[in-house]
Amino acid sequence: MRVRLTVNRQIHQIDVPPGVTLLSALRDDLGLTGTRFGCGHGVCGACVVLVDGIAVPSCKVGVEEVGSKEIVTIEGLARHGTLHAVQRAFLDEDAMQCGYCTSGMVMSAVALLSRVPHPTDDQIRDALTPHLCRCGVYGRVLRAVKKAALR
Amino acid sequence: MSARSPWAGRPRERVEQRLVIERDGTVIARSGKVEYGQGIRTGFARIVAEELDVPIERVRVELGETDGVPWDMGTFGSLSIATDGQSLRSAAACARRLLLDRASQQLGRPTTQLQTRDGRVVASDGRAVTYAELTTGEPLVGEVPERPAGRRTTGPSNDAPFRLEALDILTGRARYVADVRLPGMLRGHLLHPPVPGSRLVKMNDATARAVPGVVAIVRDGGTVGVVAERDEQALAALDTLNVEWAPAPTAPVLPVDIVLRHDEGIDAIFAGTSQVAAQYHVPHISHASIGPSAAVADVRDKDADIYVSTHRPFAVRDEVAQLLGLSPDRVHVHPQMMSGTYGRGNMTDAPLDAARLSRAVKRPVLVQWTREEEFRLSPHRPLLDAEVRAVLDETGAIAAWRYDTTTNSHAYGGSAAPPGMLEMTCGRNAEPPYQFAKAEVALHVVSAAIRTGPFRSLAGAPNVFALESFMDELADASAQDPIAFRLRHIDDVRLRRVLETVRDKSGWGQRPHEANRGFGVACAIYNRTYVAEVAEVSVAATGQVRLERVWCAVDAGHLVHPDGARNQIEGAIQQAASWTLLEELRIQDGQVATATWPDYPIATFQDASREIAVLFTTEESADSTGIGEVGSVPTAAALANAVFDACGARVRRLPLTAAAVTAARS
Repeated sequence: MRVRLTVNRQIHQIDVPPGVTLLSALRDDLGLTGTRFGCGHGVCGACVVLVDGIAVPSCKVGVEEVGSKEIVTIEGLARHGTLHAVQRAFLDEDAMQCGYCTSGMVMSAVALLSRVPHPTDDQIRDALTPHLCRCGVYGRVLRAVKKAALR
Repeated sequence: MSARSPWAGRPRERVEQRLVIERDGTVIARSGKVEYGQGIRTGFARIVAEELDVPIERVRVELGETDGVPWDMGTFGSLSIATDGQSLRSAAACARRLLLDRASQQLGRPTTQLQTRDGRVVASDGRAVTYAELTTGEPLVGEVPERPAGRRTTGPSNDAPFRLEALDILTGRARYVADVRLPGMLRGHLLHPPVPGSRLVKMNDATARAVPGVVAIVRDGGTVGVVAERDEQALAALDTLNVEWAPAPTAPVLPVDIVLRHDEGIDAIFAGTSQVAAQYHVPHISHASIGPSAAVADVRDKDADIYVSTHRPFAVRDEVAQLLGLSPDRVHVHPQMMSGTYGRGNMTDAPLDAARLSRAVKRPVLVQWTREEEFRLSPHRPLLDAEVRAVLDETGAIAAWRYDTTTNSHAYGGSAAPPGMLEMTCGRNAEPPYQFAKAEVALHVVSAAIRTGPFRSLAGAPNVFALESFMDELADASAQDPIAFRLRHIDDVRLRRVLETVRDKSGWGQRPHEANRGFGVACAIYNRTYVAEVAEVSVAATGQVRLERVWCAVDAGHLVHPDGARNQIEGAIQQAASWTLLEELRIQDGQVATATWPDYPIATFQDASREIAVLFTTEESADSTGIGEVGSVPTAAALANAVFDACGARVRRLPLTAAAVTAARS
């Protein structure tokens, strides 16, 4: 099955068997491994990407459903070598430990701030609740997103 | 040097095993430890940069590459900075001396007139020579003297948040094991029997063979697996395999009983005296790593490359070599970025799966366990059943203490491990840090219904839950303040100081009592690190407990990177609060029935404590000890004690659910 995907402002054509998820297409066909597999059921948040600006678990999206929608992954956030404000804030707060859940959290935070530029603490918490972090860096992530909103 | 030093008695190391200066001035620092979010790469780089006087950007830390680094038992026990950090510090201090000596020859100046600065040796007359120039064609070699005079700063280190991997993590460049892509690489899964160790006796794979993309159905001894072009294809084929398993005969594992302490005359004190007693229970819980276990194996006729997330690269090397019939030096293990594993990565499941499959298809194979496999088949945290008894004297001090604890194997070797290993693992923190006239501490290791293995802090957190809950029960029974009661049994200045610090900073005993809000304390010494926590909880009418705030005082000696240490403590508390309030694996007919995240909720952004104050009471002149686990150790007891303070419910069985609190309240 031939599929056209717009990922990080570039158009790609890939050949995949039917039923392949967006996550698998990103990781295994486009080599964009920054989006991570965590559970395969869309309940841990590790694989969240932006689909037309909305944070979506890519393991629950069939690649044929994407159509002409624009996908943005963690690899596509920085522009011309400049980090996105959310990436910068995570860096400044060291809002990570192992980093496995970080890509997904960053994408959800980016989606939130583009929708709500000055979110309340509760709005940040609600937007990030689909993301599990076993290392327990929740406090730092909340601080980082708040800081990014101030930029 | 104190006899308790972890590096006492280790063979002398050589500079060339640890440090290499490249032609471009890059300093390569080597350790057999691995990084999984605890920040040791950054810590090691800081140590080497400081001792050798080079900018940190010029230090490249190589971790766990079995061909290049000194042998290491494994990354566990919060020992990396304490042991390998010290080794790297000594090697770097020694290397600096050697560089000064060489520069002295070259510049014709005594070393007293030379300084090191920014990767160069500079003479008082302004002439300078770089480290690269001093080592070109003549690498630094030599035995590292025991603890050479170093340059460690005596004040606290730079506190800014900083992590060497952060930029790669934040841009998606970081390469975790499942991100490894080798030419010709395939994907594979082993079919894991419902009862670990069972052997395949019969199989029908006709349907599986017909699944598109399937390259091979691999039957290897008593195991079977599928290799396919894509992961989804391998999984689809695996689902269609029709197999019959036979349980492997297993020798019964006998319980092991160990007396850790027995003071003469203790029986007489307990006989016929009124005493306080309580029993505590800690359930099986899951490591619940966000990234499931993964490995890539590239097995060739005479050697193999293994890309892996593991706490024990040398064990992976040896076990894969044994499986393949190769000598260990033919197996090259390459640790990658790892999802935090909290002990789970001590087991070598995924690399062995991948090695079997790669051997059969003669191509590189990536294996990543599914979330369901991770819950059902991983080794989990052992149970703890503990009984504590004590007799108080007429002043309210503890006259006699008896602790009897039963648990399962916390080690990767199973309960057949030698008694010394069982004491260190299953018996960790079974002896409280208090002064008692008489005490008895007994440990029983029994086999578990399910597979168990190492879990963050081993038996530390479970034992401290029992001990520190009981300390509060004793304080309550004798109407004493829980912190004052603890302090009267502590001589150790550093332990006193962490307790006094959380008492003073949390406003302990100063705040007006609010209904259904409470404070609880617990403390411990974990692998030479001192910790005390005060937890503030609220308890809803439903019995639901919320961890509101935590004050945590820690003395881990010299801190190499205070903000990194703070991050570890905060995370450990959040994780331990999750274990305590939410987690229990469901076991049915000797198997783990829990299979998905909805079956096993862990703490989310909603549950996370709003404020964790980490208070370092560090003795800067003392050697660095560990930071990675200690924050998690007192949390369960601090929470349980806070719940009692809030509403009078004493919960002795974890998890501390709304139902448990409601039952204990009535």
